[in-house]
Amino acid sequence: MVSPRPYWLLLVALLVACFGTAARLSPQFEGWRGSRATGDFFVVLLGDERKMFANTFYIKADEYYHSGYYPSIFDDNAAFRTAHMAEDTGAVDSKNHGDEHGFLGPERNWIDSFGRHFFPNRHTHLDEGGPGGDLGGSQEVREILPWLKLSADLDPENVQTYTVTAFWLRERMQNVKAADVMLHEGIRHCPDSYEIFFELGRLYYDSYQDHTRARNVWEHGVELWLRLDPATPRGRQPALELVDDWLSRPLKLVAEQKDNQLVMEQLTTHLAAMDTADGHWTRAIEWLRAGERVSLTPDRIQARIDELNSKLDQELHPLLKPLY
Amino acid sequence: MSIILKTEKLRVEYRSREIRQGTKVALHGLDLEVGTGEVFGFLGPNGAGKTTTMNVLLGFVPPTSGSAYLFGIDVRQPIARQRIGYLPELTYYYKFLNAEELLRFYAKIFGLPRAVADRRIAELLKLVELESAARRPIKSYSKGMQQRVGLAQALINDPDLLVLDEPTSGLDPLGRMKVREIIQRLKNEGKTVFFSSHELGEVESVCDRVAIIHQGQLKAIGRVAEITGTHANLEKAFLEIVGYQKEPAS
Amino acid sequence: MRNTIAVAGIVIKELYRRKDFYVLFIVTILICLVMASINIYNDANVVRYIKEVCLDLIWVCTLVVAVTTTARQIPAERENRTLLPLLAKPLTRVELILGKFLGCWLACGLALLCFYLFFGALAASREHHWFLTNYLQAGVMQWFMLGMVVALSLLGSLVFAAPSSNATICFVIIGGILFVGRHLDQEALQLAEPLRGLVLCLYFVLPHLEFYDLRDLVVQNWPPVAWEYIGLALLYAVFYQFIFLIGACLVFRRKAVN
Repeated sequence: MVSPRPYWLLLVALLVACFGTAARLSPQFEGWRGSRATGDFFVVLLGDERKMFANTFYIKADEYYHSGYYPSIFDDNAAFRTAHMAEDTGAVDSKNHGDEHGFLGPERNWIDSFGRHFFPNRHTHLDEGGPGGDLGGSQEVREILPWLKLSADLDPENVQTYTVTAFWLRERMQNVKAADVMLHEGIRHCPDSYEIFFELGRLYYDSYQDHTRARNVWEHGVELWLRLDPATPRGRQPALELVDDWLSRPLKLVAEQKDNQLVMEQLTTHLAAMDTADGHWTRAIEWLRAGERVSLTPDRIQARIDELNSKLDQELHPLLKPLY
Repeated sequence: MSIILKTEKLRVEYRSREIRQGTKVALHGLDLEVGTGEVFGFLGPNGAGKTTTMNVLLGFVPPTSGSAYLFGIDVRQPIARQRIGYLPELTYYYKFLNAEELLRFYAKIFGLPRAVADRRIAELLKLVELESAARRPIKSYSKGMQQRVGLAQALINDPDLLVLDEPTSGLDPLGRMKVREIIQRLKNEGKTVFFSSHELGEVESVCDRVAIIHQGQLKAIGRVAEITGTHANLEKAFLEIVGYQKEPAS
Repeated sequence: MRNTIAVAGIVIKELYRRKDFYVLFIVTILICLVMASINIYNDANVVRYIKEVCLDLIWVCTLVVAVTTTARQIPAERENRTLLPLLAKPLTRVELILGKFLGCWLACGLALLCFYLFFGALAASREHHWFLTNYLQAGVMQWFMLGMVVALSLLGSLVFAAPSSNATICFVIIGGILFVGRHLDQEALQLAEPLRGLVLCLYFVLPHLEFYDLRDLVVQNWPPVAWEYIGLALLYAVFYQFIFLIGACLVFRRKAVN
């Protein structure tokens, strides 16, 4: 009978050779472009397909926001192009039109009619209590958070995931710390995102009552939005100077600015409100003029500008103050 | 002696899988009678029609023409099978059951009351020497044990007619002896046994009458001694009846 | 009836003695417990995603149990030659088919009961509330849906030679009905004749298994469905079970068993 000892020794020698080779080549592996040695788990597992999954889970979160009443790919989804959970944060341009309550359309036959009794068949929002209809500031909206968390993990470059998650964490769940962490993580992955800076400013302003930090991040958001246009001067000018420069030029928005006018309006109007409260009416008027340029309701902003102008005139010309 | 099993001009045709071959005739008008209390051997080479005959008798296959009766009842009626037991060739019983559960299942189908079934199961397990293995799953049984449990299930309803298809197939000599003893015992109890086998020595020692079938046709039927005739044994008679011709030495 | 119940009893024994169900059950429990352990912004009351994952797993597992258990019944009997001693007893082929159906269906019911008990416990641990009516409706509807699946699979096992091909075809049909069955009529309108007519025919003829999927209602805590609609849906299921079983009996009557 042949002794197994030489085979064991050969096996050990092979193992040593394998480990030694791997250890020797490891630095070269890490330096390779496209190396997955230090990649994120999802990047390694899924590659770029993770973004497809991220989008699916983002839509899933909006489906949960509607308690399951949501159009499939076969239904009319014109009223759901922009997620309602994002729309309701007040900081996302909406591309929705059509009937959100009746995307199923009229009943087509007895099977369709009968089948509608077995799935959600009414339009509701979780922040309003969902099917239960409890309007008392329901916290049911927590149920969208797992899907948003998963979506953010899979696609860290999707800005809306951070802003939407942070909004609901802060606004409805009173979990300000988590919202703060979420937004800072968003800034880490998307450092040029004005949407995230706007939301961060709201957090500082509403939850921490830290107006100074709120102003700083909102002004930075305005800068980022303006710098989308290559014509905006480069350099370290303050945001209001950039706004002045922008206002002096004819209105010409680049594509991304056109798609995100609402955020700019929100940034400028919030800054205007802060300056109004502080009595800096000239600054407030500048912000409002910038906001008016991109607003879908410029008349409303113009009315506020007129009001501020009138106050400014009264301050400059005290005799113009009304006597009564 | 009453007739317990009868076929009249039994003809079975199959549609052949080969398109050009049309239909294949498995049985050509078989006439057969088996009386009460007989041990009847049904012999023939492979493909002669033995299994087809059994399939018709047990209701598995409808005849193309002719008829078959068990206890005077047409075989197509399920009630005809109330008093028979059947042991098929090479059956692997439900692996997840043990012998006791298997017998209880078949007892339920026969509608045996619980007490009667319990008694019968105990007797049969003793008869086939599976008492110690009764609670073990059948998947752990050897081939011989599987055959013995098959025999037990065939006897669960204390049948008047036992139909056995190659009962000693795959058994060792001890197993074959045990099966012969059981057949003899059943005969002594007045039961009728109808079985097919290739073990002509066994058939010779156990059977009262035999029938030899070849290419779907009944070639010979009668008492063993009549069939054997002037030949040395049943095997030689069988070979002549089926027309076997020895290869000339080269 | 006695014979049918005897055959059904054997099928149920087979379910709890084979390992398939236990493996699926344990996998479901593990996945759900892992999902439940994820920290969602320190909020311990988030529950719907766990409910959805659990119910999705229940659906997948019970469909697998239903189709694979049923698909192998008759072929296994034929392969092991246990069909012969069975039909040699005073048992008709119809009784055998009904017994197999009843056994597989009851086995699915037992599996469902175990899964739903776990689901209820998991959901209640977070919600601190049992939506008993919802769970009951969802469980019963799913059970009757599985009845249709079992009957279809049984018919398939008599038509197709191999259990694997039968199971594959059943899964494809069931998956297709669940995902697009509701929308076939809409899709038909986009097609030209004669395909349009064919698809519309399919829409009206196919059993609409999606009626029995109450997951969204359970997960999102909608009020229970009105019982009259549940009753009608169950009748619809029984009707299709009948159709498939009659088909199976007719096919089996003419089938050689050896």
